[in-house]
Amino acid sequence: MTVKFWNASWWVELLARGLSPGDRETVLGDLAEAGETGNQALLSVAGLVIRRQLSMWRDWRPWVAVFGLVVPASFLLMGFSVSIAQAVLPATGRNLPPGLTVLVCNISLLAAWSATGGFAVGTISRRTTWISAIFSLLPCAFCLSRFHLHGLSPLCLLLFLPPALAGLYFGLRTSRIRFGICLAAAIVTTVLTIPHWNQRGAWPSNFMLSWPAWYLVSTAWRRKAPLRSGLHGE
Amino acid sequence: MLGEFEYLIITAVAYLGENAYSAAIRDEIGRATGHKCSVGALYTTLDRLEAKGLVKTWMGEATPQRGGRAKRMIQVTPEGVQAAEHFYNAINRLTRNVSWAPRQLQVTS
Repeated sequence: MTVKFWNASWWVELLARGLSPGDRETVLGDLAEAGETGNQALLSVAGLVIRRQLSMWRDWRPWVAVFGLVVPASFLLMGFSVSIAQAVLPATGRNLPPGLTVLVCNISLLAAWSATGGFAVGTISRRTTWISAIFSLLPCAFCLSRFHLHGLSPLCLLLFLPPALAGLYFGLRTSRIRFGICLAAAIVTTVLTIPHWNQRGAWPSNFMLSWPAWYLVSTAWRRKAPLRSGLHGE
Repeated sequence: MLGEFEYLIITAVAYLGENAYSAAIRDEIGRATGHKCSVGALYTTLDRLEAKGLVKTWMGEATPQRGGRAKRMIQVTPEGVQAAEHFYNAINRLTRNVSWAPRQLQVTS
């Protein structure tokens, strides 16, 4: 297949994918009827896409998703990923793991925090997920570029990513969040944090990473119905 | 109260009647003002008007001249008519005695 990157109409079609199917249909039809082609059509579609994207940020959800969850959780989960990698790989010269049970608890906790965080991002603001993804990659790129720990691969920073992406995937696909499942996940997550309760200064990070699970519980409790569609639902 | 662009759209929709759809409204506003409005401005304002309950929109039929793509048909609601009347009357009252108003609107006190 030959892709004509230099063809403006190809870019118009590509850009129009940023619109809802209904908008895309009518806007491209309007442009065809008006005989607007090339750069003129490109500017028209770009203008609408930008307006649509900006209008989503009038709501509180994208802000909470990005600055209340994605950015801080990315930093904290990267730190937790490294601490687990250090425990799993005693060859680094660090302390041996305090115990297998605690290690398993920590790995489960990392998976639970990451998955519930990803799921919450997917449900809080679906149509701005790509912005959330970019804001998640920025801290990762920053830490990857500065990671220098003898014996550890920088990739251990990203241990949290697979469960987070899985959570995000299910969050984006789920049309109904079930109260029972959310409550069970929140309780399990909270119980897994118990070994950290004695650590000084662990409370803020515990709260920061656990609130998505309890947010999902409260959302499921309030709605007990299909997720709202529309601007941020679908 | 309506904004001026909202008023233009509602008026164009009312004027076009059953043939009111997005492309025709753009043409009509372009003819009236001398400037064709942007697709982005039209669609976001239509969304706002629909959210306020002043117009209702639905998907119409596709035509060959549109490349087989559907139209977004628009109709003014009774609330939209009321809002447009309110805007029109306010503008009329305000401009009654200004120099650019038509003679018949000017009132001598």
